[in-house]
Amino acid sequence: MNLLVWMLGVPLLTAAIGAVGSPRKVMEATMLGGLSLTFVLCLATASQFLGGTIPMAFGDTLRVDGLSALVLVLCGFVGLVSGAYGVGYLRRNEARGLVNTRMRREFYGLIPAYVFAMLLVAVSNNLGILWIAVELTTLASVFLVTFHDRDTSLEAAWKFLMLGSLGLGFALLGTVLLFASGRGSLGEGMSALNWTRFMDVAPTLNPFTVRLGVVFALIGYGTKAGLAPMHTWKPDAYREAPSPAVALMAVGMLNGALYCILRIHMISMAALGQEFSSELLLTLGLLSVLIATPFILIQWNLKRLLAYSSIEHVGIMVFGLGLGVEAGVFGALLHMTYHSLAKPVALFSAGTLAQLHSSSDFDRIGTGTFTRAPIASGLLVLAVVIITGSPPFGMFFSEMTILRAGFLSTHTTATAVFLAALVVLFCGFGYQIGRLVLGPARDAADRRRPAPERFDLGMVVVIGAAILASVSAFYLPGPLTALIRAATQVVWGSA
Amino acid sequence: MTADIVILSAAGMLVSVFLMVGQKALFTTIRLYGAQSLLLGVVAVTIAVSEHRHDLFVTAALTIGLKAILIPWFLMRMIDRIGIHREIEPFLNVPASLLVSLALTVIGYRVSSGFPVGARGVSHHLIGVALSMLLIGLFLMVTRKKAITQILALLTVENAVFLVAVGVTSGMPLVVELGMSFDVMLAVLVLGILVQRIVGRFESMDVSRLSKLKG
Repeated sequence: MNLLVWMLGVPLLTAAIGAVGSPRKVMEATMLGGLSLTFVLCLATASQFLGGTIPMAFGDTLRVDGLSALVLVLCGFVGLVSGAYGVGYLRRNEARGLVNTRMRREFYGLIPAYVFAMLLVAVSNNLGILWIAVELTTLASVFLVTFHDRDTSLEAAWKFLMLGSLGLGFALLGTVLLFASGRGSLGEGMSALNWTRFMDVAPTLNPFTVRLGVVFALIGYGTKAGLAPMHTWKPDAYREAPSPAVALMAVGMLNGALYCILRIHMISMAALGQEFSSELLLTLGLLSVLIATPFILIQWNLKRLLAYSSIEHVGIMVFGLGLGVEAGVFGALLHMTYHSLAKPVALFSAGTLAQLHSSSDFDRIGTGTFTRAPIASGLLVLAVVIITGSPPFGMFFSEMTILRAGFLSTHTTATAVFLAALVVLFCGFGYQIGRLVLGPARDAADRRRPAPERFDLGMVVVIGAAILASVSAFYLPGPLTALIRAATQVVWGSA
Repeated sequence: MTADIVILSAAGMLVSVFLMVGQKALFTTIRLYGAQSLLLGVVAVTIAVSEHRHDLFVTAALTIGLKAILIPWFLMRMIDRIGIHREIEPFLNVPASLLVSLALTVIGYRVSSGFPVGARGVSHHLIGVALSMLLIGLFLMVTRKKAITQILALLTVENAVFLVAVGVTSGMPLVVELGMSFDVMLAVLVLGILVQRIVGRFESMDVSRLSKLKG
């Protein structure tokens, strides 16, 4: 049977078993086994691509090129890490009697389902299937946002679903308009919506309709990526959802949405020349980085802080893409890779701190966490050092690549503003995390005792991910570099 | 003849959106949405007959079955079950809302005038109607407090998109269309569950109370 079908089938089956519910041990083993197998299948698909054959299924409705392969590997990786941490996360809550049957079934059912939808996004060659897959990711994640069933989680889920559905409405209109722009030349039937078909006939598409379609589609998928000014769902959802689900949103969903943006961007570049969508992306990217700045400085919650970091990073990637030079595209995809490796570490260590203190609000956690939870605090500091782009870690290099490309291109003013915002963000993060971890410890009269740190499964996963993220700065495996180059080739080759 | 029916139905859809803006009773608003979906179904059937596109019959059946009957029934049953106050409380009063909607319609038509003339010569009107509906839907979403009216606004936006899909492109490929209908139905279900949880928790469907998360 086809490799792609297996790769999509395994997480779907895992989700089905998890949703039915069974003894706890079986569910845990299913999730770990299923997601590991999924990751292996993603790697197999990528290596098949690198071996020279293009994996396809259902005609060419599902098709893996360089960009898909890169996103697949990253999504498969984050799926596995989140799944493993998720098992540990739920065990911790279980030990404190906070978990009921509904939660268990939702958790073990929805997380693999979310992974399935993300992988489907990454392999869709058909713009209609792509849209359906993105909608599925939204629906799979709503009940992860309401997982803890607090007043605020209902609010967050409502905003998330409303804004997400509206964004998807826009994306659908964009898709329909793109389809309308090629009346006659795209042909009939299912394959008429294929991205490859669009690229073949790009010069004959009606320019006005394409332009309108691209704007709607970019705004729509930009909402899912969390680009400003459509980012407002992000901080709320990140605060309410359990950390493993947040990692799927912050890395998997972000990469998936970026993948959609790239596909539309490529159609636009081929049909209209590269200025039109590049300028749009540059503006949205710069705006996202700028909007994140003040909110990081005044932030009152650890997980919201990381949400603004994710808005910043998607801004950086989109800014790189919008520069309209090959180095910018390469920098953006490199940044996506490093971000996927480092972000889970930040989210999981922050999640551990939040779990120990039963809250992620700064005033509930209190300052000086290093004395109470040294391992989680240390890992959080390491992760923040990485994600703020400090040398010698990977994101320093990807940000430098983007900045260099920016200053060498025609957008020097925008790049200067961008650089200034990055510096402020770096200081803001240093201030917030420094105060949290190293500030004066709680005074002895404070009777709220946080749970002690334990060396459990969750902790092992965070430490493993942290080692991986640190090592990646000095050594990226050859095949991964080849995938990044192939993805750059796919994106830049269409300009 | 075909063009006349299509344009008339599209105009009817626009009228239904205006009536939704002016309407205060929740049940009537839901029925208006049902009528709007029915008209969308009529557009699909008309084009299916005149162009011998059998795919579009499926689209039409789905639209009428799902959006004109099932979803309105589901929403009404939900309101009955949770027994809430059945009046809509807008942030902006009705005359002002109607004026804004009028302005949005003008904008929608202005943008659509750039479109190339389609096969039936009606594309331009359909896109004008669809864009106006989209803008008014967005406007409804930000000015209404009740969860159900926000859902209806969202569904109106969805209908606007399907109007473009059916009227201008003669329908998307069938598999895609089926997938989309399935997703819309799933989304309404999820929204319904969420509304019930919100009502159970806050004893109100007023989503303007959901304002704890800031910054």
